[in-house]
Amino acid sequence: MKLKLVAIVTILTLVGGMVGLGINYFSVKKHVRHDFLIKARQYSYDPAEIKVDYNDTVHIKLIAMDVVHGFYLENYDIDAQIFPNDKTLKVRRPSEGYNWKDASEIVFVANQKGKFRYRCSHTCGNMHPFMQGVLIVKPNNLLYIGIGMVIGFLIGMLAIFYVRIYNAKF
Amino acid sequence: MKQTKSEVENQEYLIPENKGFRIDIFEKIPIIKQIVKSRYYQFTLTFIGLFVFFIVILGGFIGTPIGNRNIAIVLIWIFWWFLLISILVPFLGRFWCSMCPLPFFGDFFQRLSLIKVRVGKTGYLRNKIYGLNKKWPKALNNIWIPNFTFLTLCSFSAVLITRPVVSSIVLGGMLLVATFFGLVFNLRTFCRHVCPVSGFIGLYSKASMLELRSKDKIVCEKCTEKGCFRGNEKGWGCPWSEYMGKMDRNNNCGLCMECVKTCPNDNIALNIRPFSIERNIKGLDESWKAFIDVGTSHAYSMIYLGASGKLKDWVNAAESGDWVGFFTYVVALWLFSLVVVPGIFYLLSLMIRKLSNTKTISVKEIFIAYSYILIPLGLMAWIAFSIPLILINGSYVISIFSDPFGWGWDLFGTANFHWQPFIPDYIGFIQIALLLIGLGYAIHNGFFIGQQLFNSAKAAFRGLIPIAVFSTMIVIAFILFFLG
Repeated sequence: MKLKLVAIVTILTLVGGMVGLGINYFSVKKHVRHDFLIKARQYSYDPAEIKVDYNDTVHIKLIAMDVVHGFYLENYDIDAQIFPNDKTLKVRRPSEGYNWKDASEIVFVANQKGKFRYRCSHTCGNMHPFMQGVLIVKPNNLLYIGIGMVIGFLIGMLAIFYVRIYNAKF
Repeated sequence: MKQTKSEVENQEYLIPENKGFRIDIFEKIPIIKQIVKSRYYQFTLTFIGLFVFFIVILGGFIGTPIGNRNIAIVLIWIFWWFLLISILVPFLGRFWCSMCPLPFFGDFFQRLSLIKVRVGKTGYLRNKIYGLNKKWPKALNNIWIPNFTFLTLCSFSAVLITRPVVSSIVLGGMLLVATFFGLVFNLRTFCRHVCPVSGFIGLYSKASMLELRSKDKIVCEKCTEKGCFRGNEKGWGCPWSEYMGKMDRNNNCGLCMECVKTCPNDNIALNIRPFSIERNIKGLDESWKAFIDVGTSHAYSMIYLGASGKLKDWVNAAESGDWVGFFTYVVALWLFSLVVVPGIFYLLSLMIRKLSNTKTISVKEIFIAYSYILIPLGLMAWIAFSIPLILINGSYVISIFSDPFGWGWDLFGTANFHWQPFIPDYIGFIQIALLLIGLGYAIHNGFFIGQQLFNSAKAAFRGLIPIAVFSTMIVIAFILFFLG
């Protein structure tokens, strides 16, 4: 009985996650190129959030508005340094060490889905550790899976108590 | 009051509750008992805490003003915070309080001894205690002051957790205040009724997997000496004024282990227990603490894990100069934590009362009892907030060990360890898992709180629905912050 009840919650949690994933699946669109100009200032990026679709090509130009800032994009192996009054960036791939190269923009294919943060990687002031922006690559599966799982989990937990109280057959 | 027909009908079935296991660590690993019975036990812990605290305070004053290069910020607000909320509180309850340096000097001035016990008579105590030993006013015998001191610290968090000198001034100030309270008031009045961190730890330690309890309450009843409470030649009377014969909550047990030394009947157990099993919320002050902690965890997630520059300018007015924004933020934080969340909870309590068909249980009783569900949920939300802080900024801790003051030292060869986020791609999964665990415990406890209140499984189930939906909405809000 106990095992069955645990199974109910687990199955409903997973089903919830799958439903969330399914709903999200239909939001995928055709691949395009996106150009963004991101201004970095103490302690935020403008725009703070950019959204693209899976496999879109992303071109990012960066400007430092006050002091030297960094641009470390999680999961995409990209780190850049931006200097005030200088349109040239220093860019590197963290997986390859500190091999900085000059570039005019950051270019990458958004080949990983979800929410990724770009963070300042160059100490820029008091709130530096919290300076970040957000790249959303749609479909943001984990968000919908998470919400679906939570709703499935809720239904599963309520079902457990219902079954135990009302002795319902299942 | 006479029960209504529906209330009588409700009392037809109860789901038996598993009270959970207890494993006495003292029994399983006797050496731990020997260690905590030593008079050097707490002194050693506190002395280590005091030494690190001294370095931290010093770092704030003499080290670099760059927060992420100074031990005063990195060790306290990245490493210690994560350790406290994610490891110590859920697994070891108030263990931190047993090594906290803040009451060190207060304790010393009360005892005029670091290790030795003084036998004598001070009030009900069988120990000689110095200082004025004033009684704390009964009206303040709660955690309302910690509630407000915690909210105040949260309001100024941007300066507190990023400016080394401010951090040192606040921590040093707390040490002075704790010492003053030790000189003027009796025992650990500061820890019980003033310390902002203690209120936070105390409430969440209710969910902890560790408890110090008497093995047999009947033995305590028959005990005439009450060594745990009054002290004796082997140890001090409980600094937190707890009597083990009646203690059934972790809230005010600082795990100092004096009672293990003083119990004449060897009747103290250090138990491992299931997570989130202690549901007894005693008053509105504790309920409000739970609301404040949920409110501030939402606010912190938005400020420190969010991308909004405007919000950062508001909280960081000392640098941005946006004092109107700062005022807006403070008012919003206090209103949300003190009015909006409790207001929603009050409406839920009305709904629960209606759905459970009860007339004998007041809305206030329902409000207080159900507020417990925010403890496992809030704790998991705080851990979910703290996980990215340590995984993203933890690499600063590595460099700080070699260069604590940002002076260019390289003591252990790690000073130039470059900032590097650790497994950022897994953070979302960890956060979802933590929030699901918190939700599970909230719903589980929500049901059994209802069953205990209404003495009916059916009434508890009907009452559970709004509280479970509310908990789910809180979790979804966090998932939207973290992943949306």
